[in-house]
Amino acid sequence: MLNEGKKIYCDVSKCLGCRSCELACAVEHSKSKTLFNAIKEEPVPIHRRRVQAVDEIIISDACHHCEDAPCISACMSGAMYKAEDGSTQHIEEKCVGCWMCIMVCPFAAISRQTKLALKCDLCKDNEKGPQCIISCPTKALISKEV
Amino acid sequence: MNYLIIGASAAGISCVEAIRSIDMEGKITVVSDENYPVYSRCMLSYYLAGIIPEGKLKYREDDFYRKFNVNAIIGKKVDAVMSSDKKVKLSDGSVLTFDKLLIATGSRSKMEKIPGIEKEGVFGLRNIDDARKIEKRLQNSKAAVMLGGGLIGLRAAYALHKRGIKVTVVVKSKHVLSQMLDEEGAKFIQDKIEKEGIKVLTGLAAKEILGNKCSPRIHSGVSEANSVSGVVLENGEKIDCQIVIIGKGVQANMELVKNTEIKTEKGIVVNDYLRTTVSDIYAAGDVAQANDLITGESTINALWPNAVIQGKIAGFNMVEKNIKYDGSISMNSVEFFELPTISCGITKPKGEEYEILVRKNIASSIYRKIILKDNKIVGFVLVKDVDKSGIFGLLLKKKINVSSIKEVMMGNNFDFAKIIPLIKQYKSEFAEKEYSEILI
Repeated sequence: MLNEGKKIYCDVSKCLGCRSCELACAVEHSKSKTLFNAIKEEPVPIHRRRVQAVDEIIISDACHHCEDAPCISACMSGAMYKAEDGSTQHIEEKCVGCWMCIMVCPFAAISRQTKLALKCDLCKDNEKGPQCIISCPTKALISKEV
Repeated sequence: MNYLIIGASAAGISCVEAIRSIDMEGKITVVSDENYPVYSRCMLSYYLAGIIPEGKLKYREDDFYRKFNVNAIIGKKVDAVMSSDKKVKLSDGSVLTFDKLLIATGSRSKMEKIPGIEKEGVFGLRNIDDARKIEKRLQNSKAAVMLGGGLIGLRAAYALHKRGIKVTVVVKSKHVLSQMLDEEGAKFIQDKIEKEGIKVLTGLAAKEILGNKCSPRIHSGVSEANSVSGVVLENGEKIDCQIVIIGKGVQANMELVKNTEIKTEKGIVVNDYLRTTVSDIYAAGDVAQANDLITGESTINALWPNAVIQGKIAGFNMVEKNIKYDGSISMNSVEFFELPTISCGITKPKGEEYEILVRKNIASSIYRKIILKDNKIVGFVLVKDVDKSGIFGLLLKKKINVSSIKEVMMGNNFDFAKIIPLIKQYKSEFAEKEYSEILI
């Protein structure tokens, strides 16, 4: 089952930088959950995973669900928390957009929407599991227990 | 083990959580002089601005104390620590004992000694009471003056502006946010808030707070001359207002250790383990004077994230864990009128040993300034384009030589991947498993 892992890793030897993961992430976090309607939504759904590159390396990166997560310590509204499965989750209703989490995230894995921080939630509300993994045509993204 | 924690804000709460993550049995008592559930004082300006309701000030759920099996003594103040007897005395005369004590009493607004400071309508903005009082007075107020252009002053100014109050900020320094930002960076903020209608007067201080002898509908049984009606500045200028908020920085609440062996300077002095000079007594948060990670100086970086981490490490060490604290970091994040700003470390370097990298676009309000010493980041200021700030912070904390990525660091496309070569090169510095797990 795809959802069992608490972290998503990118095997850089397989990542081609096609950005299918970014698209799947944005659609999953849209209201309509379909690409056709998602692109017309306001605000435009934002992906929480980013394809990045340096030298020969291409990597799809997002929240690492750090063991000692700096974003949780920094969050002054109490929105960021460690879930029982070890993942770092975010209660969007509590967020005021102070960007303390952005200030301390070493991976720059948190995005900004107006007054709202957005991060990888491992697609916790989708029983099929992380959509980035499903969408990856080269199986570069993998989920494993940590 | 009998743990006693004085203070129920960032440091006190994270100390409880740290202790309970190891010791489920020990007795934990928390004493707080604020008669409210666990809340976040950093959110007060959001409440005052009308962005969140009072209920959203809550930092933890209502059942926090029950869930963590804490004996909470709320609405009482600790008057004195009797360090040699391992006891504390409460405001009602009662005495509590402890095996391990955390002092997390925080700080309060520095109140200026200017004539009229005692008048009704003069506030700090530190706790729910302050916010509620300001909220109440707002209803019959048209104008407000902020004395101080620091974070508290500007956040309060922004909040009152959002509520339709005419706001003037009076700043003694040459520019706003002088503790947090360099002059150039601060100019972006100042220009923005002035454009949106907040008046900023720099290089000036208030001489007197005036009281009203006439009859605003504001006051409640107080003699009328005691209700704020205006502020007179050093240059003689008079500003009419019904509210004055003092934002002249904070001072540590450390009176309770006055007659003890506990060493105090600007705050309660702690070592790298958050212990005070008396064994079994710890301090964390705004009251604690710890080493600064960048400068190495013993100082107070009064900031929510520092307080949480200090409370956590103090908590672990109270359970005999002996975990070393890396040091506090001077940093902050603010956003006014959709213009975010993040700063960290040394932002106003003085001396030839510093190298300064700047990227600036006035038209689009983008500013990126990175301060290097011996090719290592010691500070930065980011305006508008703040999303990558954590990466700069990581390089700063790990004290990594960034000479190979200077250009890319200032470029448009800087992201986490760009530091992967450095992570490979300085493997021992990136020992946490989050870095070693990257499949490269």
